[in-house]
Amino acid sequence: MQDSLRRMLWISRVTFLEAVRQRFFAFLLVLGVAMVLSSVSLRVFDFGHGELKFIADLGFGGLFFFGSVLAVVMTAQLFFSEIDNKTALTLLAKPLSRPEFLLGKFFGAWAVLGVFVVVLAGLLGAVLWAREIELVAAAEQAGKIPTTFSAGGLAQFVLLQWLRLGVVAAIVLALSSLARTFLFAVVVGALAVVAGQLQWIAQDAVLKPSDSAAYDAFLWVSSRLIPNLQQFNIGDALVLGAAGVPAGAVTTVFLSGLFYITAYLTVGALIFRRREI
Amino acid sequence: MTSAISVRRLTKDFRIGLRGLKLRAVDDLSLEIPRGQVYGLLGPNGCGKSTTLKVVLGLVAPTAGEISILGEASATSAARRRTGFLPEAPYFHKFLTGRELVRYCAQLSGVSAGELASAVEDALGLAAMVEAADRPIGTYSKGMLQRIGFAQAVVHDPELVILDEPTAGVDPVGSAAIGRMIHAMRDKGKTVVLCSHLLGQVEQVCDRVAIMDRGKLVLEGAVDDVLARRDRHILTVEAMTPAARAAAEAALAAHGATVVSVTHPRRSLEDLFRELVTGSRDA
Repeated sequence: MQDSLRRMLWISRVTFLEAVRQRFFAFLLVLGVAMVLSSVSLRVFDFGHGELKFIADLGFGGLFFFGSVLAVVMTAQLFFSEIDNKTALTLLAKPLSRPEFLLGKFFGAWAVLGVFVVVLAGLLGAVLWAREIELVAAAEQAGKIPTTFSAGGLAQFVLLQWLRLGVVAAIVLALSSLARTFLFAVVVGALAVVAGQLQWIAQDAVLKPSDSAAYDAFLWVSSRLIPNLQQFNIGDALVLGAAGVPAGAVTTVFLSGLFYITAYLTVGALIFRRREI
Repeated sequence: MTSAISVRRLTKDFRIGLRGLKLRAVDDLSLEIPRGQVYGLLGPNGCGKSTTLKVVLGLVAPTAGEISILGEASATSAARRRTGFLPEAPYFHKFLTGRELVRYCAQLSGVSAGELASAVEDALGLAAMVEAADRPIGTYSKGMLQRIGFAQAVVHDPELVILDEPTAGVDPVGSAAIGRMIHAMRDKGKTVVLCSHLLGQVEQVCDRVAIMDRGKLVLEGAVDDVLARRDRHILTVEAMTPAARAAAEAALAAHGATVVSVTHPRRSLEDLFRELVTGSRDA
């Protein structure tokens, strides 16, 4: 067991190094940073919402969009670079099992996604904090109740976003272990992200049974196969406290994320075991 | 003692296209590769050599047949721990240095932390890659890639080393260096399985050979046995005059022997090249 963990760690380490040296990662990170920083100058277009909310929404949007693109494209690329360049041949001829290889790739990719989330969320937190100081001072002078943000809530949001990107990476790895081409894995992975964002529609529909048993069965299966990615988007509630977060909600979302990561990685490992390289 | 590799009735079919047409890459192949020898697996492109090696290493599942490595079922972790592999046209992570790659492979192969540093240096030394070990792999020439590939294959001191086309695309000097590494492995009592279609080199380094064609084994045996023509002899004579030649021919004819040809011995172009081109020119 210890040897197995060690081997996964070596694979993760090299995967991480490979990913952070890619221009693609740097490019998306720069775009994300630019989006968060641009919120400061764009805050005049806050459409009547609170300024902190506008800044936070723009930051959440950048995290969601660029994080999703990174999770889909980079994860597939990290997997297919090993297969297409045949480095997997060298590695899998060693006492390294295929599940260890796949899990090593996942943890390497997930670590990179963690760096991405922490950098963007850290920057967002800094921007929110700087504006909060000015807004609180102005509100006190005006005798109004100031809007504030929660650093603890931001930390929880970071964890949930990292988990969400982990679910996406696990789905993409499961798809990659089946797919023959990088393009297929990326396209289907992107569709899975969209489906995950819309999964709540299927969940709602399940609650209203129709006359067709087949339709009901399809909805039931799809609402369980596809994770509800919307459940991770509770940044407003966590960071700005706009709507209270029900007790245990974060834990439930956290456990759900872990469940889907485990499930998709298990499926991926089972498929990859039979793949001919 | 068990064989280094035992292949019994191996068949491998690939399914191609949407209709799943069957392509037979290896057809009922049986091989026993003895320990402690350099074994050459020869054949034209597409004859099933590489597929056989991949099946042996567990990278591809057999359609039928049984394979064992050093007495253990192939594709098990225990068998792989005792095996080193250099794939054809190896490609490694370009951002790693040679030393980092060999270290990474040693860690994956289960070399303990206490032995890691010395194992890495030994492997780099054997592959003559110490000087270039701290350069990124992206800067290596083809010959250096093969040599660092050799180092990663032997870093965990395996009993069996499998080399798939180790000299493909490598110049004669680099090729000779790889030949020396193979001999060094044999001298240490290791088994080396070499897959190649460079017949000259195989003849020089291998003890036994097997020749495959269209997935089937067509010949197997010791190199000396399969190449020797027992019905013919070569005499190498110095300072032979026309009179001496006539006398020799007459003497042989008196015993019923016939001189089939008289030519000057030739050295190989490879020998000439290696004589003229000196020093390491792989950098």
